[in-house]
This record gives sequence, C-alpha cells and structure tokens, in this order.
Amino acid sequence: MRIALTLALAGLWRARVATLVRVLVLGVATAMLGSMILFVGHSLNTMTGSAVRSVPLDWQGPVNSYAADVNVARSVARQPGVLQASPAATAPLAGASHNGPEGLTETGAGAVLAVPADYLSHLGSLRLLRGNLSRAGVVLDQQMAATLRAQIGDYVSLAPRRGVPPVRLRVSGVALVSAADVLFAPLDPQVGSAPAQPPANIAVMELADFAAGYAPALRAITQVSVGSNAVPGAQEGVQWQVHAQLRPNALSGSPAHALTLAEHARNRVERSLPGQVRFVDNLSESLTTATRDALYAIALYIMLAAPGALIALGLVYLAALGTVDRDRRELALLRTRGARRRDLLALALADSAALGLLGGLLGAGLSALVTATAVSGGAHLTLARAGLVVGVCLVLGFLGAASARLGAGVRMLMSGISDARRAVRRERAPLWRRLGLDFVALAISGLIYWLTARTGFSAVVNPDSNPTLSLAVYMFFAPALLWIGVTLLLVRVRGRLFGWLARRAAGRRERGWGTLLLASTSRRAEAINRGLIVLGLLLAFGVSLGVFVATYDQQASVDARLSLGGDVAVTAPPGAVTAHALASRVARVPGIRAATAIDHSYAYVGPDLQDTYGIDTRTVAQATSLRDSYFLGGGVTQTLARLRVRPDAILVSKETISDYSLALGDLLRLRVLDYRTGRFTVVPFHVAGVVQEFPSAPRDSFMVANLAYLQAADHGGGPNTIFAATSADPASVARRVTAATRADGASVKDIGQQSAQTASSITAVDLGGIRDIEELFAIALAGAATALFVGLALSERRREFAIMTAVGAPLRRVASFLWSEVAIVLILSVVLAAGLGLLLSLMLIAMLQHVFDPPPDQLAIPWGYLAGLVGAAAGAALLAIVAAAAGLRRLHLGSILREP
Amino acid sequence: MTAVASAEATLMSCEGIEVVHGGGASSVHALAGVDLELGVAQTLALQGHSGSGKTTLLHVLGGLLEPTSAVVRWRDGPLSTLDRAARTALRAQAIAYVFQGTNLLDHFSAYENVVFAALACRQREDRAQLALELLGLVGLAGKRDALPSELSGGEAQRVAIARALAQRPDLVLCDEPTGHLDSDTGARVLDLLDTLQLELGFTLVIATHDARVAARCARVLELSDGRIVADRQT
Repeated sequence: MRIALTLALAGLWRARVATLVRVLVLGVATAMLGSMILFVGHSLNTMTGSAVRSVPLDWQGPVNSYAADVNVARSVARQPGVLQASPAATAPLAGASHNGPEGLTETGAGAVLAVPADYLSHLGSLRLLRGNLSRAGVVLDQQMAATLRAQIGDYVSLAPRRGVPPVRLRVSGVALVSAADVLFAPLDPQVGSAPAQPPANIAVMELADFAAGYAPALRAITQVSVGSNAVPGAQEGVQWQVHAQLRPNALSGSPAHALTLAEHARNRVERSLPGQVRFVDNLSESLTTATRDALYAIALYIMLAAPGALIALGLVYLAALGTVDRDRRELALLRTRGARRRDLLALALADSAALGLLGGLLGAGLSALVTATAVSGGAHLTLARAGLVVGVCLVLGFLGAASARLGAGVRMLMSGISDARRAVRRERAPLWRRLGLDFVALAISGLIYWLTARTGFSAVVNPDSNPTLSLAVYMFFAPALLWIGVTLLLVRVRGRLFGWLARRAAGRRERGWGTLLLASTSRRAEAINRGLIVLGLLLAFGVSLGVFVATYDQQASVDARLSLGGDVAVTAPPGAVTAHALASRVARVPGIRAATAIDHSYAYVGPDLQDTYGIDTRTVAQATSLRDSYFLGGGVTQTLARLRVRPDAILVSKETISDYSLALGDLLRLRVLDYRTGRFTVVPFHVAGVVQEFPSAPRDSFMVANLAYLQAADHGGGPNTIFAATSADPASVARRVTAATRADGASVKDIGQQSAQTASSITAVDLGGIRDIEELFAIALAGAATALFVGLALSERRREFAIMTAVGAPLRRVASFLWSEVAIVLILSVVLAAGLGLLLSLMLIAMLQHVFDPPPDQLAIPWGYLAGLVGAAAGAALLAIVAAAAGLRRLHLGSILREP
Repeated sequence: MTAVASAEATLMSCEGIEVVHGGGASSVHALAGVDLELGVAQTLALQGHSGSGKTTLLHVLGGLLEPTSAVVRWRDGPLSTLDRAARTALRAQAIAYVFQGTNLLDHFSAYENVVFAALACRQREDRAQLALELLGLVGLAGKRDALPSELSGGEAQRVAIARALAQRPDLVLCDEPTGHLDSDTGARVLDLLDTLQLELGFTLVIATHDARVAARCARVLELSDGRIVADRQT
C-alpha cells in the first residue's frame, strides 16, 4: 500500500494542474454537503430555541392545598435544570367593581391569578405595564383596568362568588397577561396541555394575601375533582398549582433531542416528589410540534439540497475524466510490467485517498466559511458538529474521488492489457439500460405527481385542519425519481438526437467551415451530452431551487398577511375602537389605503370553542386581502353580500358544516361569551356560507358574522382590532399608526414583524439560509462545470487541435470547434434546466400544497438569480474559452504530434 | 557540413539551426548547427537513427518548432522570425505535412479531413470536387465517409497524403510515412508519393530511419546527434 501511495502521490504531483482542479472541485462538492449539515444543525437549534421561547410557562403542576403548593414549589426549585419554580393559584372571579370619580363601574365574571411578588423575575406569562405586585394590592389586566376605569391607588372590590362579600384591594399595578389561555387552562396531567378560552377580566393577587383573604371563600380543586374542571371557563374553585420554568440552556440540539431532555427533566422531578405533583408539560407539547416541523424541514432541506450535492459529485467525475487518457496509458504500462489488477486498484484507491483528504479538508473549511457568511448568526460550530462535518467531508471526498476515478477508469482496471491500450471498444449495455429503469423511474414519478396534483395527496398531511404536520415521505419519490429518470435517460440517449440533427444539417457535401463544425459536433455528441448532463442538471437544480424558494417566500408573505389580517393590524382595549373612533383615525393616517374594524371574540359550537370574527362587510374587502378561494360556494363579493342581507348571517368552516350536518340557511345556536355578565349565552345565527380562510383566523375552525349583530349579542364594547391596507412601506406606516393611537392603549404590528415570527408551519421553516447557501453553490458550480467542460474538451481534442494548426488552420477556426461545443452545451442546458427545473418546482409545490396557506396562484420566478445563474455559466464559458484560446496559441505542436 | 541544393531555384535555406531542449547541465542539443538548402521540386531524405534529430529538423522546416537559433528563409523571406500566426498561414499556403503515424482528425471522415486542409489553405476551387479527386487519386474514393478509426494504417496514410496535397503545397514534409505500415503497403505509399511528386512538382522531404526508403529520394542527408554527417546524391 505504501508503494501504491508513493506512486499515486508522484502521479498527482506530475499532473499538478489537473490535481489542483480535482481537489478544488472535490472541495466545492463536499463543501455543499458540509454546509448543509451545518445549516440543518443550526436550523434545528433555531427551531428548538423558538419552540422553547414560545412557551410562556413550561410546567404547571396542580396540587391540593396552599401548603402543598409552597412546599412542592420549594422542592422543585431545588432540582437541577429548573430555573424557577413558584407556587401559584387561579380562581374564578364572579365580578368586580370600582367606585371612581365617574361613578360605580362594574365588570362581569373573570379570573384571579395569585402569585408571589418575585414571580415575575423569570416567568413571562404576564408583564407589568405599570406599578408592581405588592402585599394588600392587586394588579389588574389592562383590559380589566380599562373596563373599571381604575388607576393605580384606586380601590376595587373583587367578588370570589355570588353571595360572598367582595374583597377590597388597592390597585398596585396594571399588567398585560399574555398567556391567559395557558394560565387559566384546566389542569389535568393525564390529558396534557389544553389552552382554554382566556377570561374577559383578570386580576393578579399576591399569593399569601390570596390564600388568606380570597381563597377561603372558594373550595379547592383537588386532583380527584380535576376532571370536573376540564371544560374551559367552568372553573369554580381554587386551583393551587406549581409553575416551573426550565433553564433554556439545558435544552440544546434538535427539537427531538431537546424534547427528550425536557421529558427526562420532568420525569426526574416527578420521581423525586412521588405522589406530590404531576405536571402539565406545555414545554414538551411545544417541542413535540417542533419535532414534527423539524422532520418536515429536514425532508425539505434534503429534497432541495441532495440533488445539488450529487450533481456536484458529477463534476468530480468530469474532472477525473480530464486525466483518464494519461491514467489509461500509465496503467497499461504498469500492467505490461507485471502489476496485478489489485495493484492497480490499490493505486487508484491511494490516489483517491490523497485527493479525498485534500478535497475533504478544503470542503470542511469552505462549508464553515460559507455557512458563517450566508447564515445569520453564523455557523455555531461546536466541536462535535465541526468533527461531524470534517468526517463527512473526508468520507465524501474519498468516496467521490474513488467513484469518479473508478467510474472514469473502470475499463482500464477490468480489462486486459491490450484492451487497456485501446481508447475505444464496444461494450454491452448496462443492466439498467436493458431493464429500462430510466423509463420506469419517469413513469412512477409521473404517476406520483399525477396523484399529487389530481387527488390532493400531499406530503404534508393535515387531517384535522390543525397546525400540526405529518409526513408522507414516499411523496418525495416523485422529484427524486424524476431526477434519476432524466439523468439515466440523458445517459441512454448519449446525445444521439442532436448528433443526428447535426448530421442532417451538415449534409454530405462540403459548404464551408459550418459544415465541418456540424460534422464535428455530430461525432462529439456523446462528449457534448456529458457536458449537458452535468451543466444542464446543475442549472435545473439551480432553477428548481430558486423557483421553489421564491414561491415559498412569496407564500410566506401571503401567509404572514393572512395571519396578521392586513399590512398593519391594530389591537385596542375593549371599547377603545368605538369610543375613540380609532378605525376612522387609522384610515386617515398617511399611507393607509383602507381600514376596517373587526370584533374578535369566541363562541361555542356545541363543545367546540371557535374564534369568531364580527366584520363590517362594507369595508373588510378593501382593508384586507380577501380571495375568492377563501370561501366555498361563492366568491368574495357574493359571500359578503349574503352576509350583508341578513343581520344574523354567519359563515362557518367546512368542518363545522360536516360535523354538525349543517346546510346553508340552517339555524345555528352558539354560546357566545357575554362580556357584560362574563357568562356564555345562547345566540341564534343562520348559516350563510362556508369560509376556509380569513385574515388573522386560525387554521382550524372559526366563524365570521356581522359586526353589529355580534356586538349586540356579546356586549363586548365593539371591535377590538383594526386591519389596514397600506399604499406605502408597512413598517413606516405602522410607526405613524402607533404614534396616532398610542394614547388609546393600542398595539400596532406590521407585516414585516409578522413574517419574522414563526406563526405558522410555512414560516416555521426558514429557507432563507438554505437558499443563500445553495444558490451560492449553484452559481459557483455552474461556472465550474462550464469551465471544466471547456478544459476537458480542450484536453480531449488537444492532439486534434494541434493537427489542425499544423495543417494551417488559423487559431480562430480551431477555437471555433471548441466554443461551438460550449455554446451548444450552454443552450441545451438552459433549455433542459428551464423545463426540468420548472417541473421539479411544480412537483415540490404540489407535494407541499397543504403547507401553502392559501395555495399559490402561480410560481414566483426569481429572474435576477436565474440571470445570475446563466450568467455565471456563460461568463465562465467565456473566460474558459479565452484561456483555452491562449492555451491553443501555446500548444507545443512538435511534442504533441510526436505522442504515440 | 553544409547541405546545398542541387536544383536551380532555392525554396528554403537554413543556417546554423540549433535546437536545445532543457537548460544548464541537463540540456540536450536536438540539432546542433545544421545548414541546409532545399531546391524546388527536389526530393530529399533525412536519414538517421531514432533520436538523431530528423523529426526535429522536419518540424523546424515546417515552422512547427522555433529553433533556439538559426536563420531560416522561405524563398526570399524569413521564416524563423515570423510569428506563430504567420508561420501557420505560410504552412496553409505552401507547406504540407504527412506525420509519423497517421494523425488524421479523429472526428472527421476521410473526405472531411481532405476538405479541412483545402479550407485551411483557402482553396478557391470547388473544394468538394478537389477532395473527391484527391481521394480518387490515392485510391480511396470508396472510403470517403469512413472515419480514421475505420481505416487501415495504409489507407489512413493515403488519406494523409491526399490531405497534404489538398493544400497545393510547394513543400511536403513526411515523417516516417511508412513507419507503421507493413512493407508492401509502405512500398505502395512511397510509390504514390513518388508519382505525385513527379506529377505535381512539389519538393518532398522524407524523414526516415529506413535506408531503402531514403534511397528512393534524389538526395540523402544523414543525421546523427543533431548534426548532418553525410550528404549524398542517389
């Protein structure tokens, strides 16, 4: 082996330029995969971070009493990995009142949260806006404070239940309770996390005060009776509970890894406190969803990146072909001198090991550099990840170099000495060609695509219309088989078609240089086809990647607008929109094209709590981006007209229609939260249409009704949200809207902020990084592939070009035989890339149709990037031809013509 | 020794051709002070063993190789000081090669190989007709569409001769034209060259190690270690 290595190194050193080219190509090819590993690792870490940050409260453990609450919280806080554990309690609030300068103001029912004063240091489920939480004081949620018109220092009375004297407390602060759905959820560890309808009014008390002065009026919810409180909004007693937050840095790696860590931590804590506490694990719930998203993201990344990496290895093969002639002669010589076949194999492997080592190390370095440059936040290289990337790049480098070397020189290794000396011989068609595997692959790919497009199969299954995702991985076979089928078909065709066309065009009679160019092209069809396979597939990869990611981005933007409601959304405290005429004031802000007020509330359809939107049918279409596809059985205009003609008309989701066997015109009785009493009351509606999507509505079931009718039913004080369409940059318009509405307690959000959030599945996977990395590689490899093709053509025809020059052909004529081939490869590659790339994009989009919400109307074409891609190939071709022409000028004619 | 053309008109003259490969102590003199004059329609053999410098001298005469030092004149003009493009143009117009081995253009048929040469030297006449005539002249009219890989060694060499003649050259340089051929085929190729030379009147220079081949030329220059060691008329 040592001799083989010495010989291999000597051979590589003798052909230094070719070795350098092979190492560079191998480096770029392995770097592509290395970058993907780094990017996916970084992306999974980001997903874990987002999932962890999105959980306002990691664990909620119901306990039976105040004493148990305090003791268990103290024990949990001492556990490793726990950032903070705090005793807490929730309780119903029958009503509240405030006797201020404007007279007596009362609220309906709500809820009380009781926490210690230091609760807010690490737990982010509520945020103090003003004041603080102190003994003998109460912090009011900003909506409740607004309803009661209470200020810090005022006294309010809180009634635990009807018939019990209210507790009088001084208002010590105003807070924003951001996670009310989690804080007041019924706690059943058997059921798990089940966010509930947030209460209309929330008061926050100091825990000790609560235990002494408020809780005695109510019974305690025990772990035995927890089932009776499992219905949201039905809590009738005190729920003592331990809140705990894990240290974020204890949760690292992929969502699946972090989920395992989180579950281990919870099990450990529960085991250390046997029979005392079991937690509702909101964190694991979030990480479970993130794990599903991560699976989808990885599949998507692989689907987008793997073809590129494989084609990059095709370049390595192309580079290896550059030395195949020299290798053939050398190996034949070695065999005549007694080298056995296994010696030659050892030589080839030693050669590959040396190249793989250099290329792999270069690839690992390049991948770290590219990822650090292209991904915001850098590559986040850990020792383990760096080791993995170096290892993978080295292995891939070796395998790539070995397969290219063996693939290019298999004939030399397998054949006899006389065969090895011969450059051409007839070979039997390989098995795949005899079996027609290319046609089989294309047929199966087409079938899967047809099923996907026609029957609505999707790789992302969304059976219950909820935001969770599951994968049908077999769907990825459609593009994978298309890649394989087209590649094999091109190999099978071997340029016969354009070879035949060139022969037909050339004819049998000489008509000048053009005829000779065509004749030459027709006989070089196989070599041209080789260039087409690598460059065409590479460009097709670039096109499919660019178009898919651009469409993905386009839909992410549409999705963000749909999630937010408009270009700008304003949320205001109850009553503020009507009292301060916020909708018309927002509409007058410069840059606002139209604005509409919406009442977002909740109502029960049977036992299902659904979001309910009260809309103004006259203005909603102008201020939001409603599409016909949002409604079934009619477009925007028709559906809004149906809503307008009947005050109690309501649009419901398809699921509601089928679950409750409803038809248009049917009576639908809803339990609507009456903000005046805090209780749910039955309100009759009539079904007027089916709605699938609506601005800011969740992906599951929801309803849309007339604003005035809903307002009369829920007494909620009118709209609480304003959606606006802008005619200028949404971010700057949003700043102006903020300035105009700040005094009214409104919060303003623009579409840019919404896009940055992982609000839905489509935006949960950030394709920005992968796009930058892959596009960078696609452009670089397109240039490299073209340059390699030119170099290889020059190498293969060097002797022919020398003869042409010796015969007296001018340089420009000789060079024309080179550039004409390059031009043909470029043109055919662009045509192939346009067709195949678009088809692949369509396939990917069809597969992921359920991710796109709403589905894309058309593909987004990133013209700039595509021009850059083709420009890189054309530019590299031009440079390579100029360099080749310079090389032709310097050909050592005497030496070349003496070669045997 | 200076080799002087016996013919009346001088086609080419060389003085002090030196070709040195490499540098320093390891340098090799492929040609060391060769003087030569070639007359119009002369037939000349460059005879010598392998490594004697005959192919190198042939390449200098054809402008394929720039000598380290020399004065090479083509008719009344300089050759060795011309740039590469001008030498290529001169080859196209006046100097044709029949190389060692076959050295046909692999991706062109026999017919296209001949047409290529006609195009390269900007023949004004009907190039297709010319190519067919020349292929007929060398007895290969039936092989016009054959690729070099489909021709025997003798056939390929005859195509090479036809290609050389398509340039209507004043000088034909042949490097071991029978080196890869059996004796019968070699003899037929040489007969063909002799006939064509007499018919068309070009100057013929043949580099060969074979004394029998050399003997067919009117004049033989014997080379050894890059020097002319004998100049004789046959």
